Amino acid sequence: MKAFLIKIRLIVVAALVLLLSAAIIGFAIYLTSLDKEIRARFAGARWALPAQVYAAPLELYPGLGLDAATLKHELERLGYREQPEPQGPGTFAVTKDQALIYTRAFKFWDGLQPESHLQVRLAPAGITEVNDADSGKSRDIVRLDPMLIGSIYPQQGEDRVLVKLTDVPQMLPRGLVAVEDRSFYSHYGVSLKGIMRATFANLMAGHAVEGASTITQQLVKNFFLTPERSLKRKFKEICMALLLEAHYSKDEIMEAYLNEVHLGQDGNRAVHGFGLGAQFYFNKPLSELRSHEIALLVGLVKGPSYYNPRRNPDRAKARRDLVLQIFNDEGLIDDAEYKSAVERPLGLAGQSDGVARYPAFVDLVKRQLKGQYQDSDLTNEGLRIFTTLEPRAQEALENQITEGLPALEKQRKMKPNSLQSAGVVTSVDGGEVLALVGGRETRYPGFNRALDSRRSIGSLAKPFVYLTALQQPQQFNLQTILPDDPVSITLPNKDVWEPRNYDRQNHGPQPLYMALAQSYNLPTVALGMRVGPAEVRKTMQAAGYSGNVLPVPSILLGSLDAAPVEVAQMYATLAASGYQSPLSAIREVETKEGQPLSRFPIKVKQTLPEGPVYLTTWAMRQVMTLGTGRSAYNVISPSTILAGKSGTTDEMRDAWFAGFGADRVAVIWVGRDDFRPMGLAGASGALPIWSKVMRDINVRSLDPTPPADVEEQLTDPATGLKADESCTGAIQVPYIRGYAPTETAPCAKLLAPVDSAVDWLKGMFK
Amino acid sequence: MNQWIKLGALVFALALAGCQTATGRHEGTWPPQQTPQQPVTKPVYGTVLPPVGEPTPVMPPTVPGAESAIPPMPLPEKVSPNFPKTADAISGPAVLSLLRSAQSARAAGQYAQASGSLERALRIEPRNYFVWSTLADTYLREKNFDQAVSVAQKSNSLGRGNVYVEQENWRIIRDARSAGGNAAGAAEAQARLDAIQQLLQPTVTPQ
Repeated sequence: MKAFLIKIRLIVVAALVLLLSAAIIGFAIYLTSLDKEIRARFAGARWALPAQVYAAPLELYPGLGLDAATLKHELERLGYREQPEPQGPGTFAVTKDQALIYTRAFKFWDGLQPESHLQVRLAPAGITEVNDADSGKSRDIVRLDPMLIGSIYPQQGEDRVLVKLTDVPQMLPRGLVAVEDRSFYSHYGVSLKGIMRATFANLMAGHAVEGASTITQQLVKNFFLTPERSLKRKFKEICMALLLEAHYSKDEIMEAYLNEVHLGQDGNRAVHGFGLGAQFYFNKPLSELRSHEIALLVGLVKGPSYYNPRRNPDRAKARRDLVLQIFNDEGLIDDAEYKSAVERPLGLAGQSDGVARYPAFVDLVKRQLKGQYQDSDLTNEGLRIFTTLEPRAQEALENQITEGLPALEKQRKMKPNSLQSAGVVTSVDGGEVLALVGGRETRYPGFNRALDSRRSIGSLAKPFVYLTALQQPQQFNLQTILPDDPVSITLPNKDVWEPRNYDRQNHGPQPLYMALAQSYNLPTVALGMRVGPAEVRKTMQAAGYSGNVLPVPSILLGSLDAAPVEVAQMYATLAASGYQSPLSAIREVETKEGQPLSRFPIKVKQTLPEGPVYLTTWAMRQVMTLGTGRSAYNVISPSTILAGKSGTTDEMRDAWFAGFGADRVAVIWVGRDDFRPMGLAGASGALPIWSKVMRDINVRSLDPTPPADVEEQLTDPATGLKADESCTGAIQVPYIRGYAPTETAPCAKLLAPVDSAVDWLKGMFK
Repeated sequence: MNQWIKLGALVFALALAGCQTATGRHEGTWPPQQTPQQPVTKPVYGTVLPPVGEPTPVMPPTVPGAESAIPPMPLPEKVSPNFPKTADAISGPAVLSLLRSAQSARAAGQYAQASGSLERALRIEPRNYFVWSTLADTYLREKNFDQAVSVAQKSNSLGRGNVYVEQENWRIIRDARSAGGNAAGAAEAQARLDAIQQLLQPTVTPQ
């Protein structure tokens, strides 16, 4: 019996041992698999890093036309802080005639721009000197750090800007430890003390009031686990926390935590990590945050939506002040700093500042990269994309559109918000897209009208009709008289097309340039039919039109669709004297380590002949001085020579204005999304916005010097013949060299026939 | 014979081009603040200035066999077109500094760096034809022959008859075309180059 009992006992013990071994083996297998998961996740790239998109950097140099107020505005846009004594990167002080700037270091694709301490001398006309503030040595040119304007993150995705532990202010990790996990540096991943304290607190309260998660556990939770709450999950969390601690140092865990933690939500974009948190809430790099700003972010960890400082500012401030108090208790800030920090306002950047500010432009950037990069390259690899966006031009375009539309609606007694608009600003030589607006809600990433709204271009097509004709100098010049008579054209489908002038009047025969300046339809059709719609279409294509409209007569008056950005390309080719540069929104792309991946260098190709383009531009200058564009000079100095063209479509469904100075092209479209007539013509709907944009971006005056194959001749406007000083109202008109009229106008003095060279000299010294 | 006619016509065209800036001036609005006779001492940054000094009309040398194309004109002692000869004359310090870094990058074979600096310079002075010309030369060395030719042509266009920048640009065009296998085009560029060199050194007028 005894032996039996012993046997039983042995069996039980053996079974227990077996069971226990099995459990241990099972647990070991479980741990091994967790271990593998952890190591896999920690070893490689820990996060999918969205591409970061930067604006063009501001360059400071003597001669730059930037006054004190604008410079201040530019620096504030970059998140620079104004203070009496600039101290440390990202700070400045500015007076009327001088600015002291502590610039940030930035690694550009072509090299590091180190941080520098600058003294910039200012005059009302702009910067006169840029000096090193410490040595006094003059600097020729200094690039500021570019503004981060957005990132390309996956749909419903996480966005983050990676930081290194060594680069963050020490107050941040130490503050996090003080607030979230006091024993972080001594525990092995879990804190028994913490668990006991939490259990006690929860028992006292009767429900869960305190979590017991260490920083390591929080990281594990964010990194590997779903948000479900269960014992099983808690167990897994503890195991993983212990394993993580076994493999990695406290610093590695802290750095991962800094980059992983969830700090807010921006639409469908999740803001992760303190690097992006600093950008998102304060529009500055993390390294420049002060104690009250760090405290706000640290406080957010507990509940980014509950303490959302934009939505619940009072709650966020209370939390921030509590955190500041902990900082003070821990000796991270002294009493004086604590007292002044709790007095400071939250100091949030506007939600529209910094990251994700220019959705329409970033959309263009994405499309330009489409052929070259996979979507996953853009959302995962942390590429750095340097764009052509010029924040000042973008701001001007946005302001004029958002202010211009309500003004138009009010003036015309339209329903508010019934109008829509899109605009593009590009450089002339080099084809850089400097600003782009896709609709009146400029922060809303909706329908991008600048790229996707293909609308009838109306009279914007006319310069290409005239340019086609002016390429035949033996037949046409700017003074060629065109009939302004009704025409009736039978189309291939037997329809009869009978275009009319916009004002339904006939104005009598018109010189070619005047027909363009006044945007008369009938002379344009007469001219276009002589050169042929197919030839006109060829000219448009050479300028950059990419559509495949049939070469029917109605294209002469612009019954073809194009998006504003395409119109900008066509007009940019004219602005660049026929030397086309394909529009581009990107300068360089590099890897997150700073290795150059692709460059988008300036490309130039002559697609239209220079002389005829010059003559066309000359006529487009008359649009601005005596034609449909002249009201532009109500807001722009008349000494600024500009060329442009208005466009209005049937029943006023679209109002366009497109034009350029020496350095900038701008295109504005105004209309309704439902294609209904709105009662605005190009000159009344789009031109006011266009003019103010051109004024705000300080467009440079066109250079009136003709190219080598163009000569100028004094011309009698009445007859289009050669004039002299005795002809009243005679004007200098450019002609393709060798094709100026030789016949003298009746008004000219009948002197002995003069040699052409002497005549030419006379003209020069007049 | 025929080539002399061609050459004569070329020289004539160039000479006229040389005067062109002068004829463009009497519009009066540009440049706004100076009269043509005033020598310009300090260029306004970002503005391409016309040649300084007296506007001396450039007369083409008479070329035998080219009478039909050219009205008879006196041959000047020495052709001295008043065009800026180097970038220094028309560029601000920022652009000159960028030009220098471009040139040293180019010398080190770092063509992307060089074009990057030149593009920065062009954003400041978009019509600075010397910068465009340096960019053309960078494309040439990078063996991007099409762009070298296009950009050199653009520089010529902006130069508005500046024979000094044209001389450099036609050399670039010649080399780019010849390296790209366009012998006829290279020969044409060489002819333009010869014509300019003749214009600058009238003593070597062919007999």
